[in-house]
Amino acid sequence: MSTEQPSEGQPGVAGVIIEGLYKSFGDNEVLKGIDITVNPGEVVCLIGASGSGKSTLLRCVNRLEDPNAGRIVVGDFEATDPDVNLDAMRRQIGMVFQQFNLFPHLSALENCTITPRRVLKRSREEAEAEALHQLELVGLKHLAERRSAQLSGGQQQRVAIARALTMKPKLMLFDEPTSALDPETVGDVLAIMRDLAQAGMTMIVVTHEMGFAREVADRVVFMDQGVVVEEGAAEQVIGAPSQPRTQDFLRRVLNPLGE
Amino acid sequence: MALSNRERRRLSLGIQAGIFVAAAAVLVLLIDWAALRQSFLNIEPVLPMFPGIITTGLVNTLQYTAVGFIFGLLGGTLLALMRLSSFPVYRWIATAYIELFRGIPAILVFLALGFGVSLAFGWNLSTLQVAGSALAIVGSAYIAETLRAGLQAVPKGQVEAARALGMPAWRAMVSIQIPQAFRIVLPPLTNEAILLTKDSSLIFVVGMAGSAAELTKMGRDGINMYQAGLTPLVIAGFCYLLITIPLSLLARRMEGRVGSRASRKKAKKGSTSSPVTGGVA
Ligand SMILES: Nc1ncnc2c1ncn2[C@@H]1O[C@H](COP(=O)(O)OP(=O)(O)O)[C@@H](O)[C@H]1O
Ligand SMILES: [Mg+2]
Repeated sequence: MSTEQPSEGQPGVAGVIIEGLYKSFGDNEVLKGIDITVNPGEVVCLIGASGSGKSTLLRCVNRLEDPNAGRIVVGDFEATDPDVNLDAMRRQIGMVFQQFNLFPHLSALENCTITPRRVLKRSREEAEAEALHQLELVGLKHLAERRSAQLSGGQQQRVAIARALTMKPKLMLFDEPTSALDPETVGDVLAIMRDLAQAGMTMIVVTHEMGFAREVADRVVFMDQGVVVEEGAAEQVIGAPSQPRTQDFLRRVLNPLGE
Repeated sequence: MALSNRERRRLSLGIQAGIFVAAAAVLVLLIDWAALRQSFLNIEPVLPMFPGIITTGLVNTLQYTAVGFIFGLLGGTLLALMRLSSFPVYRWIATAYIELFRGIPAILVFLALGFGVSLAFGWNLSTLQVAGSALAIVGSAYIAETLRAGLQAVPKGQVEAARALGMPAWRAMVSIQIPQAFRIVLPPLTNEAILLTKDSSLIFVVGMAGSAAELTKMGRDGINMYQAGLTPLVIAGFCYLLITIPLSLLARRMEGRVGSRASRKKAKKGSTSSPVTGGVA
């Protein structure tokens, strides 16, 4: 009944299996047969040019997008089964967006308590205690009463991570979590993600931060135009890519001015 | 002599003010104040209108409008959700309803309810029932479009974030989308409440007992009753302002409140750091 491979990671984290995944928007075929397996506790960084389908792939995993074909398994959930309990599955998958998507009408604390209270029916005391704990871990307990408009981008993203973690997810999806941030706040967010990885969380991270990928990722997957071109250990894919398309992409990312 | 931008702006504002004052002065001199007062503000003869115009007229206008607005809001919410539904039949029904009742003059709805219903079903509706449901029917069509626009103005990422956390669709709607849409629609919704207040006067086409008369009806009756020209209608007009201006003020206060809840809460807890600058990393 369980699809988790207990070889790696800790109890309470989920693995992900993606098999033969296809997704089109109208005539535009965005994902063309993706196969990726992420073991429990593993950190996989997804890299690739803009428009190559990274976000769409991530959004298929928690079914914000409906795939056209293929199979996705997240922990105990058959994500692509038409009868799957999507809400229950999503409660086990935290997602962090490029644009943070904090709820602007709620304080940082309320952002973290609303789902536990309204969906999991936790008491206010219990939900607030857990939320304050998570906010403390991202260093923002003192700003718990602020709304997103009163927080910097980096602070908003840290609250968004705390909000996801209050649901005790078994898998975290990050879609370019630092791409919208001022350079000086990127480090805080990456440090929190690194700590989360070291604590054993399963993570799929779309990022252009090659330094983070090298340091934290167990595996790096390079995508181009809807297919996986190359995957392997970070040193290999980023340090010594074998495919011309990967080499070309990395050259442009690491050396934007071309010399 | 060269003028700085600022001086030029000041000069231009000064000229505008001068023209305005001169025009006002000319008007004041030209107007035949005595004649005007005679037919529009001849207060003494109409004093017997008080307190009835308040205790009956204003109260009835308020009642008809409140019933119409509350049911219009309920119906409008339902219609807005139908318009946004993924089920096409709901969308068609809602669209047809909205187009019909936004398009025809409200007076026709009053006539249909005032006379049509009793002819068709033999029901005898009270004035409150006719006015309330006519305003609700017309109001819900306008309110539906306002609410739909408000719901759609909430960024898509908000609902996606809520769904990604595991909220069911209805919970994301109730806890995330509607509260944010509410802030957006508060000003246009106030506008619609004000329009309904004035539309309640259309009940005159149906006729009503004296005890059910609203402001406009009492003003019109007053014209025949007192030798004071149109003064009774002017009085009725001021009574409308007694409803609509407080309504605007209330809405403005609510807007401010929705916007600053977090900072006020903070202030109450006696936090000393400024909400904008304090502790930004
Ligand atoms: N909701 C959508 N509707 C239509 N096209 C979309 C939608 N989302 C993404 N696409 C298209 O899919 C392609 C891949 O997009 P995306 O997954 O966002 O790429 P990436 O995250 O790698 O930049 C792009 O061509 C984009 O225009
Ligand atoms: Mg993307």
